[in-house]
Amino acid sequence: MSDVLLSVRDMVVDFPTRHGLLRAVDHVSFDLSRGEVLGLVGESGAGKSITGAAIIGLIEPPGHISGGTVHLDGSRIDNLGMEEMRRIRGKRVGMVFQDPLTSLNPLYTIAKQLIQTIRTHLDLTEKQARARAIGLLEEVGIPAADKRIDDYPHQFSGGMRQRVVIALALCAGPELIIADEPTTALDVSVQSQIIDVLKRMCAEHGTAVILITHDMGVIAEAADRVAVLYSGRIAEIGPVREVIKQAKHPYTKGLMRSIPTLTQTNDRLTQIPGTMPRITDRPEGCAFAPRCGHVMDICRSQQPATRSVGNCEVACHLETEGGAS
Amino acid sequence: MSDNLLEIKDLSRIFDISKPWLNRLIEREDRRLLRAVNDVSLNIKRGETFALVGESGSGKSTIAKVIVGLLAASSGEIRFDGVNLAEQSPTAMRNIRRRYQMIFQDPFASLNPRWRVRDIIAEPLRKFGMGDMEGSSQKRVDELLELVGLSAKDGSKFPHEFSGGQRQRIAIARVLSSKPEFIVCDEPTSALDVSVQAQILNLMRDLQDDFGLTYLFISHDLSVVRHMANRIGVLYLGRLVEVSDSKEMFRNPRHPYTQMLLEAVPDLDMTGRTRVKAAGEIPNPITPPSGCTFHPRCPLADAHCKANIPPVVESDLGAVACFKAT
Repeated sequence: MSDVLLSVRDMVVDFPTRHGLLRAVDHVSFDLSRGEVLGLVGESGAGKSITGAAIIGLIEPPGHISGGTVHLDGSRIDNLGMEEMRRIRGKRVGMVFQDPLTSLNPLYTIAKQLIQTIRTHLDLTEKQARARAIGLLEEVGIPAADKRIDDYPHQFSGGMRQRVVIALALCAGPELIIADEPTTALDVSVQSQIIDVLKRMCAEHGTAVILITHDMGVIAEAADRVAVLYSGRIAEIGPVREVIKQAKHPYTKGLMRSIPTLTQTNDRLTQIPGTMPRITDRPEGCAFAPRCGHVMDICRSQQPATRSVGNCEVACHLETEGGAS
Repeated sequence: MSDNLLEIKDLSRIFDISKPWLNRLIEREDRRLLRAVNDVSLNIKRGETFALVGESGSGKSTIAKVIVGLLAASSGEIRFDGVNLAEQSPTAMRNIRRRYQMIFQDPFASLNPRWRVRDIIAEPLRKFGMGDMEGSSQKRVDELLELVGLSAKDGSKFPHEFSGGQRQRIAIARVLSSKPEFIVCDEPTSALDVSVQAQILNLMRDLQDDFGLTYLFISHDLSVVRHMANRIGVLYLGRLVEVSDSKEMFRNPRHPYTQMLLEAVPDLDMTGRTRVKAAGEIPNPITPPSGCTFHPRCPLADAHCKANIPPVVESDLGAVACFKAT
């Protein structure tokens, strides 16, 4: 497998607090190929944003990666120093955050921010950088890009701002983009446009994407594969179609049934009882056991191992018991 | 008397966002007005769920606030159970106020963090003089807590001890305590995770069946609206562009904006249906486009649409405000 761009193995992220060590991400492993879009879904507190931040070394101290490895294109990046990491960020890994207004500096024009980013990472003159910036803005669908480039962020609408942020992330031609809830702050009609831009740009530039969202609909539209996170662990990972249509983990099954869709006919939504356990009082065994309809004795005492089922990997004792159930 | 519980006629709400008069004088600027709600008329029938959908800035929440009286209407009238709310004396108003309530979007902001849950839920009882004796209101609070799926002993806790979904249950219990007939729900589940959203939506439907409640359900999520509503009104820049039966609207949307909204909903079933992509964004409401405000984004727009505001045309299928609608 030479086309693996990013390989995350048994990554653990801990936050030491007064009340003890909080494990936000617990032995998460996945691979990402070049040009692939991997979705990370989960409810609030499942650890999806922390996973994204950990990969690019943006965990706020005192939080830290306390186990596992992250390899980008074969070389290890989780143990790099601040300065080396800074050079990777922006150059090889781009980022798109939820709120476009906070990821752009309100005091500088779009031109200044784009050109500065381009010249930090690429050896270009001011003029060449400006041309590249305008080209990028045109690609992400900003009309009259050569004029609008001298505007300030507040002069753009929400959707346009998010396009600028995508252009900014693509400035230095990164191999990977981490998009953390890129459409959550936007309206549906704008959301679909932004997903299109993100998909198109990454396909054209051959950029791989980690798409972090709580919205299964966005995943269905944009991702090739999806990892479902629950309470800091991956419950299920596999091709989007299989996870959505034939979910294997009871949590994913419940999640899919609880989402109202435009085509459903039944009157009541299937609900998963209870809520995700807080990070402070996670149960000993499988974190989903207290809410699970198929819970067995072993689930309460022992964490399920991840196991391959077809194209998917599932962490559930039901699958381990496979033949028996 | 009709079976309409709430009748809204030509409702408008204008916000004055001008600079102070001295600045206007010096800078020779005119007043700037934002028409958040523009001549909206709608009726909500007893026992139904009427949904208002639209993107941010379309005026959904402003309508909700005007209905419950958190904002005054600039013009137009609101009749609740046949009574014009603007003409009531404060005492009569107090009586009517008890009969409609509101659930807010953010369960973290709508509960007082310094009050115990019991006091939060009992507040409407106290305000409307429905729980004179300490004992009776206490019993009622316990009942309400169990009704919304919490336990009576949760009453002595504070809001921060609960998750988002549980807080929304507390907000629902508070709303139900004054035995209202009509509840305005402003994005009640948009701050919640999907698995919790399903619980709250199911709870709201159960309560509707049990108490014969009428809901005005405001949401930007069309799948949720389809699940909850009997009838749907679509708002665009403060104007109602289409009102129709929920099933009918999803089968046969008539206004181009409604069609665009439906096309933009992510295809969770992965049917791979081909879709017309949405274009553009909602314009700035301070300087709305001329004529039909949707014309810059509309694939069907022509010169007539740019110059004239389409009237709302009622028919058997519902109401639609578009020159091109068939």
